[in-house]
Amino acid sequence: MKPAARNIVLPLVCLAALLLVPVFAIDSYTRHLFIIAFLYAIIASNWNLSLGHCGVFNFGHLTFFGVGVYTAAILAKTLGVNPWIAILASGATAAAAAFLIAAPVARLKGIYVVLVTFAFGQLVMQLVLSQAQITGGAEGMVRIPYLRLGDYSFLKDYKLGYYYAALFLLVVSTLFLLAVVRSPFGKSLKAVRDAEEYAAARGISISRQRVTVLVLSAIFTGIAGGFYAIYLRVASPDVFGFGTLSLALSMVLIGGTGTVYGPIAAALALTFATEALAGIRGLEEARFILIALAMILVLRIAPGGLLGIIEKLDFRDRKPAAPAVARNGP
Amino acid sequence: MIDTLIATIVSGLVLGSLYAMMASGLSVVWTTLGVFNFAHGALMMIGAFVAWTVSEAVGLGLLVGVASGTLVAALIGVLIERLLVRPYYGNRNMLLITVMTTLAAMIILEKGAQMIWGARLKQLPRLVDGEISIFSATISAHEAILVVLAPLILLSIWRFNVRTNTGRSLRAVGQNQRSAALIGIDVPVAFAIAFGLSAALAGLTGALLGSIRFITPSMGAEPLVKAMIVVIFGGLGSLGATAGAAYVIGLIEALLILWLGLYWTPFVLFLMMIVVLIFRPNGIFGGRQ
Repeated sequence: MKPAARNIVLPLVCLAALLLVPVFAIDSYTRHLFIIAFLYAIIASNWNLSLGHCGVFNFGHLTFFGVGVYTAAILAKTLGVNPWIAILASGATAAAAAFLIAAPVARLKGIYVVLVTFAFGQLVMQLVLSQAQITGGAEGMVRIPYLRLGDYSFLKDYKLGYYYAALFLLVVSTLFLLAVVRSPFGKSLKAVRDAEEYAAARGISISRQRVTVLVLSAIFTGIAGGFYAIYLRVASPDVFGFGTLSLALSMVLIGGTGTVYGPIAAALALTFATEALAGIRGLEEARFILIALAMILVLRIAPGGLLGIIEKLDFRDRKPAAPAVARNGP
Repeated sequence: MIDTLIATIVSGLVLGSLYAMMASGLSVVWTTLGVFNFAHGALMMIGAFVAWTVSEAVGLGLLVGVASGTLVAALIGVLIERLLVRPYYGNRNMLLITVMTTLAAMIILEKGAQMIWGARLKQLPRLVDGEISIFSATISAHEAILVVLAPLILLSIWRFNVRTNTGRSLRAVGQNQRSAALIGIDVPVAFAIAFGLSAALAGLTGALLGSIRFITPSMGAEPLVKAMIVVIFGGLGSLGATAGAAYVIGLIEALLILWLGLYWTPFVLFLMMIVVLIFRPNGIFGGRQ
């Protein structure tokens, strides 16, 4: 298969298939799984922008998602803002949060980036827990207003509206990521990852690229968070926990860091896999163990992600794949 | 007023001892291998559960329980090093990969513990009953043991590092693996010892903490996060700085709880940490690298 066919035709075929899914999946549960998978796909592919493409050891990506969740929840429920606007505002607040955390990240190296981004997530979670009168504290917020378009309520038709809205969001986010990655700016990100000193010598500001990439990766993650809150009508501090973090991380790893479509494919596959495992009696907890084992196995045998293996097998006309996992400083 | 302050300082000492034992384990692994072990808190939790099983469920007594908790945690630590860290030595992405593999190990241990021991809250009896008064503040004798034990353990790790050949070999490996190997140090063994020692410390901390707090699968998360704050303040590089930072953080936390209440304290701690990192990227006590 030629690269053009792979880069354009294959994604379009997948998109067409996803557009047709609601025709065959008429029950709201299957559609619900797809919607959640789309949101995870947005989280994972945007995380990959900072982690995989630029090599920023960002372990606070789910914080941007959580900021989005609570922005939409507070705006729509407490302040009575239209849910559509609340979702869009979530992208803005998440980007602002990313800008805040980017200040120390731009100056730090190696393990300290991991620690400070991780701690930032804990900071936001503690803020949410301590401001119980605004955020609902540990219990979270419920009965958040749902989406409407004119007179049409999105609760109708077995989540058909939500399905297409989430898919639309995923498509826009993916186009945005492709545009960023293929732009000169995207190439400079790879330079920062693979040859920091050389990039700096060529006049690329390492700190500025890091700040920019964190803010860009937060926009759609925050919007996905806002959508998540409006769709589930719940906001809970669980989004900041280790569980969500490791699930999203496994999607990035299994899909392949440094690709755009890999984490999206992995998000779809893993959401259905974990959901199927949860249905088997006795595996409700064990499925997280299986995901963790899968992560370890992928790091051991295919550090480029499973998509990396398929690329090596099928598409020999491609250049050797870029270094698999991101690097950050000496 | 003075009474409250003394009580606060004493509770800060208890917290500081706990953090010192956790953070020194992280520091030992970091200085020797250059790996940040995210499973450290989970190892602590395993220590507590094993101690509970041996001493309560099997009924062999608390001391045997604490010893087996420490031992099992150490063994799992060695296993983690062998399976999840060793394959990536020399890999240029080692730091990032081991963050992810130890994160995966944490998930496996936590969920595994939940499947084995269930979600019901458990607690160990105290090593000794009774209370001790220091000036006007009262703490349980068990907490007093923790306060006395922590500096002793830190001192013995320090002496081990400085005075014994094994300890010196760990430091040599930490400074330059190749040169260490050239002068005949078995580098893989040094790595295993560092990981085992660190995990044993975590297990012991967990077994002791199991008498003060409830034993749950996620009990390790909060001490791990606090230990992270400690190592960021102290810098990861030296044991002394880490231990010093642990007590400083313990005292600050106790004072913050007194002034601001339980809710705001963690927030302010994290905020302080981020501010510290902006101005002193290697920690307050950390030197320049």
